[in-house]
Amino acid sequence: MNAVVAGITYRALLGRRRIILLLLLPLALIGLAVLLRIFDGDDQATTVTLMQTFAISTMLPLLGLIAGTGVIAPEIDDGTIIHLMSKPISRPVIALTKFVVAVTLLAVFAALPTYVAAWILVGNEDNIAAGFAVGSLAAGVAYAAVFLLLGVVTRHAVTIGILYALVWESLVGNLITGARTYSIQRWGQAIADQISTSAFFESDVSLSFAVPALIVVTIAAVLYAGRRLRAFSLTGDE
Amino acid sequence: MSEIYDIGYRHYDGPRLGRGHTVLALTAHSLRGVFGLGRPARSKIVPFALAGIMLLPAIVTVAMMALIGQRGMEYSGFAVVMQAVVAIFLAAQAPTVVAPDLRHRVLPLYLSRPLTIVEYVGAKVAAMTVAVFALVATPLVVMYLGELVVDMPGPPATGEFLGSLLMALVLAVLLSAFGLALASFTPRRGLGVASVITVYLLSSASVPLLYGMMVNTGNDAIAPWAWVLNPFWLVDSVQSWLFGTPPHSIESAAYPSGAGSTAFLLVLIAVGLGALALRYRKAAAQ
Repeated sequence: MNAVVAGITYRALLGRRRIILLLLLPLALIGLAVLLRIFDGDDQATTVTLMQTFAISTMLPLLGLIAGTGVIAPEIDDGTIIHLMSKPISRPVIALTKFVVAVTLLAVFAALPTYVAAWILVGNEDNIAAGFAVGSLAAGVAYAAVFLLLGVVTRHAVTIGILYALVWESLVGNLITGARTYSIQRWGQAIADQISTSAFFESDVSLSFAVPALIVVTIAAVLYAGRRLRAFSLTGDE
Repeated sequence: MSEIYDIGYRHYDGPRLGRGHTVLALTAHSLRGVFGLGRPARSKIVPFALAGIMLLPAIVTVAMMALIGQRGMEYSGFAVVMQAVVAIFLAAQAPTVVAPDLRHRVLPLYLSRPLTIVEYVGAKVAAMTVAVFALVATPLVVMYLGELVVDMPGPPATGEFLGSLLMALVLAVLLSAFGLALASFTPRRGLGVASVITVYLLSSASVPLLYGMMVNTGNDAIAPWAWVLNPFWLVDSVQSWLFGTPPHSIESAAYPSGAGSTAFLLVLIAVGLGALALRYRKAAAQ
């Protein structure tokens, strides 16, 4: 961990207009929750639907993508990463620092709004709010690691990440049951299911697979991102 | 023709093709850029892969007509069914049209030529419109040609096909105006991609929830208006009003009044173009 690198990264992601991008989806989630509350739709089934379709499968991958690639890809894109890499800071430490920054951002902009939205709807009933918050945090950690690695490996990180999140996790995952096993958001849902005791929520993936998968993917992605940064070559812009 | 940008090289004495040609050249250049033509192979992967995905249902439909004599996908519902792919294409490629010029601050260079900012923005919007239209219309044409070749029983659905082509053009104008406006707010490509897809996902994920919420609480009068918040369903509602096609909303829920959604569509296009004009008035001064 390096405090200066972390500070620069926070400023790059939260500065000026860019914070709007991070705020848009969480505010929409909370707005929907408030509307549902006003219109009297605040039962457990609706809450679980909102959490599953909006919080976990739309907001979380997208924020993971913005935070995960945003901590490093813009710097690589405009070449300023060279100033960072020419300093005597170990490259794996840079990767780890940027990963931690992305995770804290996801905790604030994804897990916290998820808790607030569920809490607005059903309070602390059956631990739905806590379950989805912890689930989205756990999945957020893995998303941050994977998308950080993607940002280091390719310049088309955001597009590839969107293809993974929308086509593989949403489209294919909704049609083919087997694909759900290899989807980060489903692993997060498995953890949410473990904590929540709601009868309206059932996860497709077992916890004994989800937890090791999350840990392995996260550690492997951060380690590999650090390795890639060590032998990083700045290629010209297309 | 007076030009500010003259660094003392030998002058060009050949024929001058005029401003129309400048705009056309810029449009063609931007359009080539959308599909990665004239750029490295890795810039071509994403647009052509997405175009390939768009063609898959058309090929399956033609195969179904040929082998089992059944119509697969309707022309009118194609854009709505494939909306995620179209949105990803828009998000991935809109920044390639506007971001490089903003990032390298070459706008003053463009404007030192006899090209106005309106023509510049117009060329960019036209290029993106043609690209999105080609993406949606090519599979439709493939399906229609397939229908003609297979010679299905009954007359071919020519009216529906032509209507869906027109609607694909309207959709392309709406998406390009909005996509470019959003993408032009940042000179960084990654952020541009993220902001376009964020706005799309916001509209696609929240609309069915809003609709369900309104219906469940007995607000049946306002409920159909939820659909107009998503560009694809908005254009489909206009199509269903103009051509009498069935609604392709989730579970074929009813659309709001056609005139209302048409007005909303026109307002949205105007807002998108207006945002672009405002953005570039500022960018040109940098």
